[in-house]
Amino acid sequence: MKNKTTAIIIDDETLARELIKKYIANHTNIEVISECSNGFEAIKKINEKKPDLIFLDIQMPKINGFEMLELLENPPVIIFTTAYDQYALKAFEVNAVDYLLKPFSQERFDEALNKAFHYLENKSLQENKLKGLVKLNDQKHDFLERIVVKDGQDISIIPLEKIRWIEAQDDYVMIHTLQKKFLKQKTMKYFEEHLNPKDFIRIHRSFIVAAKEIKKVELVEKETYQVVLEDRKTLPLSRTGYNKLKDFFK
Amino acid sequence: MQSNPILNKPRNFLSFVIVWLIITMAYVQILIFGEKINFTIALADGLIFNSLLAGFGLSFWYSARYISVELYSVPKILISHAIGGIISVSLWLCVGYFITSIFVSSSDDYSAFFLNNIGWRILVGILYYFLVISFYYLVIYYNNFHEKTLRENELKNLVTQAELKSLKFQINPHFIFNSLNSMSALTTIDSTKARSMILKLADFLRYTLVNNDRQKNKLSEELNNIKLYLEIEKIRFEDKFDFIEDVSPESRDELVPNMILQPLFENAIKHAVYESLEKVTLKFKSFIQNDFLNISLENNFDSSSGNKSGSGIGLNNIGDRLKLIYGLNNLMNVEKTESIFKVNLYIPLSK
Repeated sequence: MKNKTTAIIIDDETLARELIKKYIANHTNIEVISECSNGFEAIKKINEKKPDLIFLDIQMPKINGFEMLELLENPPVIIFTTAYDQYALKAFEVNAVDYLLKPFSQERFDEALNKAFHYLENKSLQENKLKGLVKLNDQKHDFLERIVVKDGQDISIIPLEKIRWIEAQDDYVMIHTLQKKFLKQKTMKYFEEHLNPKDFIRIHRSFIVAAKEIKKVELVEKETYQVVLEDRKTLPLSRTGYNKLKDFFK
Repeated sequence: MQSNPILNKPRNFLSFVIVWLIITMAYVQILIFGEKINFTIALADGLIFNSLLAGFGLSFWYSARYISVELYSVPKILISHAIGGIISVSLWLCVGYFITSIFVSSSDDYSAFFLNNIGWRILVGILYYFLVISFYYLVIYYNNFHEKTLRENELKNLVTQAELKSLKFQINPHFIFNSLNSMSALTTIDSTKARSMILKLADFLRYTLVNNDRQKNKLSEELNNIKLYLEIEKIRFEDKFDFIEDVSPESRDELVPNMILQPLFENAIKHAVYESLEKVTLKFKSFIQNDFLNISLENNFDSSSGNKSGSGIGLNNIGDRLKLIYGLNNLMNVEKTESIFKVNLYIPLSK
């Protein structure tokens, strides 16, 4: 371990960042190496400086804190700082060590910092504890409103209405839009759970399709069907998928 | 319970008596000059039979009320009234004849006269019975209908009140918590600024919480409160937005629904200012045209952020509230282009 823990503060509000710096100034074993006011900036800085710890706001311009985390390959230790209490469960799903509700005191801040130090020293121990916590609560989540992906050096925000279908691809999924396709490191199960089932249907082990894209269902041979999209592109349809579609269009 | 419509007001009773006096006088005249009946007989017959008819008419009220249309079937009602009619008419004729006989000296002449036109009397009695009963039913029906409309209106009023309450603006708790966090930071950085922010937040909260029961306020008062809100946001996000106002002098004193502007500005701050990396300009405009106070808030926004700006509940609530308060549709509309978002409100003038 380095002699000082490095940290980046990510918050769109200058005063909020100032406050965290003040609180940190009372500790000698931690150093703020950068400050960012939005998610794009933060991704760049985190990849470049590889901090041990980030203080992360959730509500920020363009991409929110969670979307930013999805784009990091090896996220550092996270302490969320936000005025919104409804994201606490989601915060533990992404393995945050703590969740500070604004406004918070120096004492509460120190407590979070100690958790972070503890976590940095013996990762495995803490991880198990949090995993247990997450399992209890992971049935509840909101549906996604958009998907954020890394597109080479750029970051793309895909609105849900642009998505035509999603296809499994080893450890990734391929998101198809009219103009382009994007690779994202998530599971089919994740998208099945986080996309509104009113708009998206899992029609096959490897395919989720946007309901509005479906033109018809065709019989290929005995008992085997396929989905035909608006532009005549066809996708395979499994037996369970067929039943789901039947329920959907009932 | 309803009371007899003829007896419940002195005025009604007086007209009732006058009508009967006229009828009786006409009747007596006809008997004397038309039928050449002896004056005493004509007067006795006319007075007694007509007073009895008037008295019976009053008492029919109870049978009309007792045999209610809502409680009994139509055949039952018809049979009851057929029996009621026969009994009433028989009673009327018997009692009338008996009393008149006492007053008339030559009872033989009278009984001859009475028997001679008994058919007419029966006919008139039955017609009278049904006419009066129908009149009473009409009164009861009208009263019930009136009461029902009253109650319906009252209920509608209550529902409207409840709806208005639910649509009323509520302070966004995140705004307060975020502001408190900024103040917490300011206390050590710039304590004067911290104090000024605390005072602004206090004024904003006071106006919002205390005024919550008032239905309408002047546009200028509402706008002053909005400025407090914007100044607080400005402390949090220094250079992220500009506010330009263009308020015509005569629109300043017009009344607008309490806190109607707040969701408008909150929507713009949330979807444009919070989501954008560039500076956002909020343009507020108000003027009077064609008996309406026109209010608009326009802002530029970053369309690439992929959020559905303007589909918020806050804006829908404004439209619903205006509709409930003024009873008119389309008092709010939204214009949206690639980069400009504009909400227009049309508020009917109060005078």
